[in-house]
Amino acid sequence: MPSFFKRNKSLVVLSILIFLQLVLISIQVPLGERENYFEKAVFVVFSPLQHGIVSFFQGIGAFWEGYFSLRKAHKQNEEMRREIFSLSQENRLLRNALEQYKSENEIDEFLGEMYPNILHARVVGLDASNYYKSVMINRGSLNGVEKNMVVLDKFGNLVGRVIGPISLNEARVQLITDKDCGVSVFTEKEKVLGILSGDGKGSCRLEHVVSTDEDVSVGENLYTTGYDSIFLPGINVGRILSITPTADLFKSVAVKPYFEFRNLDQLAVIRMPAKDIFK
Amino acid sequence: MRDFLETSLGIVIALIVFSLVSHISVYLIQAINVFSLLVIYLSSSRNEVYGACLGAVCGLIQDSLSLGVFGVAGIAKTIMGFLAGFVSKRIDVSSFSRRFLFIFVLITTELIFWAFLYSFIYSKALNTGRGVIFLQPLITAFFGSTLFPQIRKGIKAISRYRR
Repeated sequence: MPSFFKRNKSLVVLSILIFLQLVLISIQVPLGERENYFEKAVFVVFSPLQHGIVSFFQGIGAFWEGYFSLRKAHKQNEEMRREIFSLSQENRLLRNALEQYKSENEIDEFLGEMYPNILHARVVGLDASNYYKSVMINRGSLNGVEKNMVVLDKFGNLVGRVIGPISLNEARVQLITDKDCGVSVFTEKEKVLGILSGDGKGSCRLEHVVSTDEDVSVGENLYTTGYDSIFLPGINVGRILSITPTADLFKSVAVKPYFEFRNLDQLAVIRMPAKDIFK
Repeated sequence: MRDFLETSLGIVIALIVFSLVSHISVYLIQAINVFSLLVIYLSSSRNEVYGACLGAVCGLIQDSLSLGVFGVAGIAKTIMGFLAGFVSKRIDVSSFSRRFLFIFVLITTELIFWAFLYSFIYSKALNTGRGVIFLQPLITAFFGSTLFPQIRKGIKAISRYRR
């Protein structure tokens, strides 16, 4: 027996390696809902490395850009002043709108709590197997990032939510274009409810819209309902691209998400869970 | 010790290239398999046991950088690394065309194993990245067969300079 192992050492090593990885896969069933400690350990070791590499090159790029952008600073400053003015106006208008439903004190309390809980983040890594599934951001548990926190792009459109693993300075964000992602949404006009999930190819599908429902139309905007207790209500999600009748109970509704990959350089992580904001 | 240092350095370089590639274009991630190139490059000058072990490590790193079941890329790369080490000892892959074919076959084999495991575990159709993934063996083989001799030349030049 020992001579067999000696003769076929390489095949034995190969079999052991495959067996160990099969064990690893089998303990993750059903489908890696919770990451195992080994995966977390590998993520904790390699995500800072990737983060460091990206930060290093971004640093060089930023230094170079910084030198040239000094000239543009004055112009940008003026633009930003105008933007702040517009945002203040928008904020005032939103406050006015909120006043219809809440008292002044409640609004101050709500908005006061919101601001410090908006965390700026950058994408430092894309998903190695399918870039429409997830991204890695440069914020982790040290910044107060936790599972299920909502992530928006710089225009306030829904990007996804934080999932595990979360290391000290990195976290993974599941994109709404992932097949396994589910977001409770409603349509703009008739407030038809549905579940939005990704198609894994950069677009999404609105599910559970019954075939007899005529209130859904192409071009309509979709917003989050907040019923899933993860995503805050009222966030821009996407626009209905096409509606195809099927032989099944539900329609096939294709949705184009508002967020775009080219705008994923800067993200906002909302550190307050939906249940705490709308308690 | 030298093997360990070379392997570690190779992994760090692969991570750097992977990060840069992903920032150039998302499609390039599926077009060029950087970790597989590392496994093939290092395994072809060693043996199949080394190839399988390095394949497992690189596969698990790739899995840790993606959302999904941990170990799928690990198994595919383990087999590919084993084959790279096993075949390279038996055939001459020094010419461009042979090297190209060698890498092409290995990447295709890895892709088949990966696609099989992915479909088996997820019971879902594979994301082909608008068909880009089918070009992966071709593009990766072209890059590998062009780059490998240059890397070897570079390493030789460095060791000559040190002496």
